[in-house]
Amino acid sequence: MPPIRDKFTIHSKAVVCQDVELKGDITIGAGKPPMPLPSGPIVIGSGCIIEEGAIIVNRRKEVMRIGDDNLFEIGCRVESPTVGNCNTVCTRARVHHTLRMSSYCVIGAGVLVVPTEDEMLDDYTTIYGPSAERRIWSGRGKVQEMDLRRKHAEYLREMLPKFNRLRRGDGT
Amino acid sequence: MAPKIEYYCPCLAESPYPPPPHLASSSYSFHALHNLFFCEECDAVRCNRCVLVEVSGYYCPNCLFEVPSASVRAEKNRCARNCFLCPNCRNTLTVVPSDPPEDVDSRMSPIVSTTLGEPPFFLYCNHCRWDSAEVDITFEKPTGLAAQLQKFEDSAPESLEFERLKEHFEPFLRASSSSTALPSASSHHVHTNPITAAASSALARDIPGVGKYNPLSRSRIGRDKAAHRQEYPDYKSRVEVGHAAALSGEVDVELLRHLETVGEVASLEQRWSNSWVTPLRASDLKPLRIPLQSKKSKRCPSCRHILIKPEQKAQSTRFKIKLVAANYLPAIAVTLPHAQAALEMMKRSSAKSVSAAAAAEEQQTAGALIAGHSYSFHLAFTNPLYDPIQIRLAKAVVPAHMTEDAEAAERARRSTFQIQLPSAAFPVGAFAEAWEYDDEDEDMFLDEDGVELLDARGKKGKDGRGKSRSVGIVDKRANVTIVSGEVLIPKEARGDVKFNMLVSYTYRSDDPEPSEEVEVGTPSRSHGTNKAPEMKNFSFYTVVDLGSIMYREEPKLTADL
Ligand SMILES: [Zn+2]
Ligand SMILES: [Zn+2]
Ligand SMILES: [Zn+2]
Ligand SMILES: [Zn+2]
Repeated sequence: MPPIRDKFTIHSKAVVCQDVELKGDITIGAGKPPMPLPSGPIVIGSGCIIEEGAIIVNRRKEVMRIGDDNLFEIGCRVESPTVGNCNTVCTRARVHHTLRMSSYCVIGAGVLVVPTEDEMLDDYTTIYGPSAERRIWSGRGKVQEMDLRRKHAEYLREMLPKFNRLRRGDGT
Repeated sequence: MAPKIEYYCPCLAESPYPPPPHLASSSYSFHALHNLFFCEECDAVRCNRCVLVEVSGYYCPNCLFEVPSASVRAEKNRCARNCFLCPNCRNTLTVVPSDPPEDVDSRMSPIVSTTLGEPPFFLYCNHCRWDSAEVDITFEKPTGLAAQLQKFEDSAPESLEFERLKEHFEPFLRASSSSTALPSASSHHVHTNPITAAASSALARDIPGVGKYNPLSRSRIGRDKAAHRQEYPDYKSRVEVGHAAALSGEVDVELLRHLETVGEVASLEQRWSNSWVTPLRASDLKPLRIPLQSKKSKRCPSCRHILIKPEQKAQSTRFKIKLVAANYLPAIAVTLPHAQAALEMMKRSSAKSVSAAAAAEEQQTAGALIAGHSYSFHLAFTNPLYDPIQIRLAKAVVPAHMTEDAEAAERARRSTFQIQLPSAAFPVGAFAEAWEYDDEDEDMFLDEDGVELLDARGKKGKDGRGKSRSVGIVDKRANVTIVSGEVLIPKEARGDVKFNMLVSYTYRSDDPEPSEEVEVGTPSRSHGTNKAPEMKNFSFYTVVDLGSIMYREEPKLTADL
């Protein structure tokens, strides 16, 4: 593997705390960001919330694309090559690089998802419980949930700079 | 397996002696100390098998509302507020308004903040994202949902049938409760309140296929039942079984025929907490009102004094009255020093490469009791009382009739292993808060009157035994005394090293009998008054289980190494 070249592109509206660990080519849209250890580049969309201890890893050479309005809760680990919009990865959930997420998916707290073959989760898939059961969410209540998520992001954007040093991108 | 000790409650026995521990049935008479109660009135140990249980209150485990007993019946033992279980994953559900009509691209639109609560409302599971609209349950208002759901429940055919059955049997029940038909019920009369009555009748319900334990009057109840049988008319059900479509099973067969995944069938877990017949299809499951729970108090079976009583408040985890055996009897811990030493050795020398399973096996062999050897074991006594106690140990006396019946068998059993216990009494220091202990152990035994004597006696016992024996006091500090015993296992011995041990202890009793409402300030625990101390004696049986006897497996061990 060639040595990882660090290159961070952080949108002016994004909030990235100083103690976030960034390695490789990372582009962060407007929103609040991550702490990944990648090989290929990672592009994170706007409005994403990446909480403490969350780990986002790109295991492939291709660009790892994370859409908008995703929530990565405390201590989760995501290696999915693509993540759509409005997904939730709950506390301490782990998602293997063989799994891609479309939109409005929920990976429940502590769930381990390790498909042996490449798999794309359908929209609104919910994975929950100790045996990683799945079901398809009707989507009822999603507008309210997204509303809440945006308020959450808005609050963090306001509060985090008051208590943390921020990091600036070296590009734009 | 680590050696363990359990305490005896004589409630199941006809004789005062504990059953021989090699009988499998004896395990029902022995309990861990933390499960036992102590009745001061009767001066006896009580266990969960013999205490009288009464419900002191019902509450919802979710909203912690205390439900009056009158409502419990009407609301069918489930919460009548807004507490529901997800039928899919059994998480609690929340009431959620409908989304505002979705814009063409609502995701990109600025914050909407129009979540003012638009009907219809539905129940929503935050965990698995199940919602009640999936089973066509929605509400116009976000309040009084339970009542609406209960209406569904009550109109279920099973529920209606049950109501009809109750109506049918009511005259009979009224007749039998007014007469002295049930002796066990009549003996409860003195202390019955409506809650207790409801609960005790529920607890006394017959379980199909399980015999009812009632030592007093098993046969009499049967006779009473027979006497009343002719007096009531035959029951006519609401629906003929043959005509009920739901019961015919054809629908189910059809469903199963077209199954694609197992997940379509509701699992046992999903159907278990429902009161009535549940749909077979997972997608048909309805939200459940959360089942209520109860707080219980327990009474002594012979004097009916309360042994334990929780605080009324659902939020509280404390007790108003708590007479647990751990506050009266010394706690005993058994250890095998050779097993512990082996364990230590292993920990120190254990390489990382050894697999967990192999290590566990090795541990077991190292701590094993091998036939043809003798081992010493340690018994650590911890005194819960505020006064020092004197303990004397003895092997349990074998009941006379047992020796008569199976003398040969008994003798054979005796040949399996021999137990040596310290024969002299030994002292255990008084309980005190940790900071009250001095560094010098002995000091504390001298500061209270009547105690010096005890200590001296204890010392004498220790000295008189001679150093060569491995039986006696090993260690003594604060309120803990460790004594050691010895077990001698002959070569041909098999089975478990398990024996009954009689523990007798003398303690100082304070005379004035306390009222039972006093919290933990029991007479034996409270500091003494100025009166001359009166010494009392209390004895209880225990079973000590040191583990099973192993054959010598030296060749295997050396091969492993
Ligand atoms: Zn008992
Ligand atoms: Zn409730
Ligand atoms: Zn659920
Ligand atoms: Zn009693």
